[in-house]
Formats: sequence, C-alpha cells, structure tokens
Amino acid sequence: MKNRKIIIAVGLIFFVSVCLSVYILRHSDRQTVEIVQDGAVLYTFDLNRAEDQEIRVTSAEGGYNLIVIKDGTICISEADCPDQTCVKMGVLKSDYLPIVCLPHKLIVRFAEGEA
Amino acid sequence: MNIRRLTELALLSTVALIIFVIELRIPNPFPIPGVKLGLANIVTVYAVFRCRPSETAMIVTVRLLLGAMFSGNPSALLYSAAGAVCCLLGMLVLRHILPEKQIWLCSVIGAMLHNIGQITAAVIIMRSFGVIAYLPLLLVTGSLAGVFTGICAQMLLKRMNRQNGPLR
Repeated sequence: MKNRKIIIAVGLIFFVSVCLSVYILRHSDRQTVEIVQDGAVLYTFDLNRAEDQEIRVTSAEGGYNLIVIKDGTICISEADCPDQTCVKMGVLKSDYLPIVCLPHKLIVRFAEGEA
Repeated sequence: MNIRRLTELALLSTVALIIFVIELRIPNPFPIPGVKLGLANIVTVYAVFRCRPSETAMIVTVRLLLGAMFSGNPSALLYSAAGAVCCLLGMLVLRHILPEKQIWLCSVIGAMLHNIGQITAAVIIMRSFGVIAYLPLLLVTGSLAGVFTGICAQMLLKRMNRQNGPLR
C-alpha cells in the first residue's frame, strides 16, 4: 500500500527529529562563552569565574543589546530591535542553539575548545 | 474567472488573513524563531483540496504579502515565502495520492516541507549552516501543529462536501 509507506516515512522523520531535538536542547557542560558581532569575537568569559556584570554592545547601525552575566549564566536582557527574539530566548543553555540577534548580527555562544 | 469564483477566493484570502492576524496576538510559548501554530494554513489545506492549483497559489500569495505588511515584519517574508512555496507544491502533489480521510497527513507533510523551505532560505540568507540545528525543533513543532490544522481542515471539508457536493 502506497499510503502506508508515506505514513511510516513521516513517522520516522518525526521520531528522528524528536531524538535530534533532545540532543540539541541538551544543556552544555562548557563554561567558556563568547560574544561575537559581525564575525568578530568581542568578549570571552569563563562563566564559573566571571563576576556578575552587564555589557552593552552597540551595533554599527546604532542599535544596542544589553547582555547580563549573573550567577554563572548569560542572557540578553534588553535590545532595541522590534522582534525581541534574543531577549525571549533567555539564558544560554545549549551548544547548538546560540542566542542570536539577527538585526544586530550579534551571537552569544559557547566557545569551542577548552572545557 | 467569474465573479462568484472571485468572491469565493477573496473570502478565503480574508479568512486566512484574519486567522493570521489573530494568531499574531497569541503569545508564543517557544522562543525559537520560526516556530508558529500556523492556523492560517487551515485555509491553505482547504483550498488545496477544493480549488484549482492556480487559485490556491493566488490565495497563498495574497495571504503572504498582506500578512507581512500587517505583522510589520517584512523581513520575515522571504522565509515564509520559501516555506509556503515548498509546502504548496508538496500538497498539490499529495492531493492526488491521499484519500479524503488522510487530509491531515497532507497537512503534516506540508508543514514539514514548509519548515525545510524556511531553513533552506535561512541557510542561504545567513550563509551559515549553523541554523540547520533549528530544523529538528521546527519539524517536531511543525508536524504537531500540522496535525491540528489538518484535522481542522478535514472536518471543514467533510461538512462543505456534504453541503456543496463532492470535491472539486
């Protein structure tokens, strides 16, 4: 039966996606984060040792993002872009899903290499 | 195209647009770019099964353009357009294969194709393969939403067919 094959294929894709999602959303055990703008690394922090602080990053077009480091976590607390996706993403947790602010070309992610 | 047909298409586009605008007001529990309920696709699925392919394409085009305008987010248009084209092509093929009882399946596959199209557009626009990491998340949420919109469309089509005669 043709349709059964389609159902099985869709089910398989769904199952694989669930597995991959769990893998992608896994919390990172890395401690080094970097703040990247336009492909250039602006700051690197060790979350274990960094003290609580706020960093204001301005973009070339004049917009800004306010990045907050608190109790070993990092998040973007404020931005003047319309979509606010980076703020809603909350605390950085996963290796594979960096906090991204598309309008300001800003990325907050775990650094590769040293653990 | 006669006036009756034109009015019907305009009505469908309006309904899709209203659903789209109302959905914008529903807060999104998943802070992942691209994740949406996609309720407006109930109309798309309905149109795929009841209208001609060209007519469905017209409805979707109007929805996309006006939707981008109303949401005040024209930069999202490229992603949603890429997704919509993939989704529409897939569903137009599927409607010849799937029986009436499996319209929900058509919607699920459409949702998956939509997500694949979106991510492809994102890869091309951002020139980075990192965004592919979002694809599994989008596929899971997309197919769940697709089941829901598909069941809605299926129920709707069943009732409309009972009233207005068989498909097409």
